[in-house]
Amino acid sequence: MMRLALPMQAALWAVAAFVLLLLYGPLFLAIFFSFFAFRSNRVQWDSFSFSAYAKLMDNQRIIDALTNTFVVGVIAVALSLVIGTLLALYHHAGRGRSRDLLQVVIYLPFLVPPIVTGLSLLIFFRQIDFERSLVTVVIGHTVFVLALVYRNVLARLQTVSRSLVEASLDLGANRWQTFRYVLLPQLMTALLAAGILAFALSFDETLITLLVTGTKSTLPMWLWSMMRLGFTPDVNALVALVLAGTTLLCLLATRYLTKP
Amino acid sequence: MNQREIADDRRVVGAWPDALLTVAAWALPTAFILVPLLLFLTLGFFEVQGTDIAYRPTLKNYVRFFIDPGLLRTFLKTCQLGLEVAAITVVLGYPVAYLLASLSGRRKYTVAMFFAVPLLMSYIIKIYAIRSILGGNGFLNRTLLYLGIIDEPWTFLIFNLNAVMLTLAILLVPFAILPIFVALERIPRNLLEASADLGARPLLTFLTVILPLSLQGVVIGASLTFVLAIGDYVTPQMVGGIEGFTFGRIIYSQFGFGNNWPFGAALSVILLVPVLMAIVAADRAGRARYTT
Repeated sequence: MMRLALPMQAALWAVAAFVLLLLYGPLFLAIFFSFFAFRSNRVQWDSFSFSAYAKLMDNQRIIDALTNTFVVGVIAVALSLVIGTLLALYHHAGRGRSRDLLQVVIYLPFLVPPIVTGLSLLIFFRQIDFERSLVTVVIGHTVFVLALVYRNVLARLQTVSRSLVEASLDLGANRWQTFRYVLLPQLMTALLAAGILAFALSFDETLITLLVTGTKSTLPMWLWSMMRLGFTPDVNALVALVLAGTTLLCLLATRYLTKP
Repeated sequence: MNQREIADDRRVVGAWPDALLTVAAWALPTAFILVPLLLFLTLGFFEVQGTDIAYRPTLKNYVRFFIDPGLLRTFLKTCQLGLEVAAITVVLGYPVAYLLASLSGRRKYTVAMFFAVPLLMSYIIKIYAIRSILGGNGFLNRTLLYLGIIDEPWTFLIFNLNAVMLTLAILLVPFAILPIFVALERIPRNLLEASADLGARPLLTFLTVILPLSLQGVVIGASLTFVLAIGDYVTPQMVGGIEGFTFGRIIYSQFGFGNNWPFGAALSVILLVPVLMAIVAADRAGRARYTT
């Protein structure tokens, strides 16, 4: 792009600052109120404490919800990495209408609104009499993040030089060895980045989860049920911790995404 | 890819016959994506009798949508909401994307990251945080009360469609920024230089070169935010109150209190109509190419 005149630059920065304020302002305010009390319509500056965080640790339901969220995230990521990689390898190994069609099917849960993905799974589970539980949540999340893993791995596969594979096979490595020692190392950063992003998506998934969840809840479900009670310091503490966690994940992901 | 390259790849994937490989690859996506979607599409053609679903094909659910003025009105209002959200996010997103595209080197991607990171932050937490500012008992009202600017809490900020629109716009603005940014980045520099060399002033270059070429990003961004806005049911539920009733909430309620799954499925199919229109628009914009 061309260099912009100074007044133009200033105007654009002003809009950007406003958008940043909209994006981050509410979150910082929530973090702020995890440390300070808000009474008599104003901030009590002398009320700084970590008590909200201490209370959080005592709340067994939050700990349970967090544990569930982690378990679901890890399993869904593991499943989507394996299945996504296999499907990407399949697509890369040939061409034809069947492969392109399959690609569209894989992208569908990402293309249609989450409510449609969630509802179709909900209806499917009821039709086959499969009780809703964390297992159905894992399936829902896997279906959702699969497209992301698939896309990332396929994009990377397309950059891997074919001569590497040929050399490996010509030098006597079998197919598994070629995959394990030649292809996989090339895919590693793509898998890591996709895995981290998929985990972040799963950790946060609400619209599909709400439809396919059973009695056990993940963190967004718990927050959703807490929402009715409103603004309490320990929810703010939770918000602060979750935000710190996701920011860390994002930084990790960008590190692996930017490294070729 | 030539025949030999395919053969080489096949040596890696396996010696399985092609048909078997195809079946294996299709198995899971069919079972967990295609079959559920097909069940979902067909369920709307049945109806509830008592507590069970009677499996006799009927168009009742679809007819009901067209004869119930309340439903139709909510549907149109939700589409309008989606368009408004798309418009706000594009208006806010375009200048930001333009700024990002004008930055140089590493700074560009560092600043861009700040606008992308909120996408990965908890959705429900963001709604919660916005609500705790706008609410009747929220930060804004209580601060204004304390400062003596108002005597009674403002109630027009929360639990209506405006609140839903505002919240969705904040949540979705990164989805508008990123495609516009990508489109601006793809504009070849030499076109801009040519325009300047031929005597066009910056504003004219913007209007006749940059803006038309970045429109595909605008269409993709607007489609994305539109689709996500009209399909959402959590945001309207949390900040919409009784007034902020949207089509997504009606659908969701059919699977809860309403307990009429076929009707809910039919309504979601209707929801898919504007969604598909938006996806097709985005796809066509994405395919648009220009020669450099």
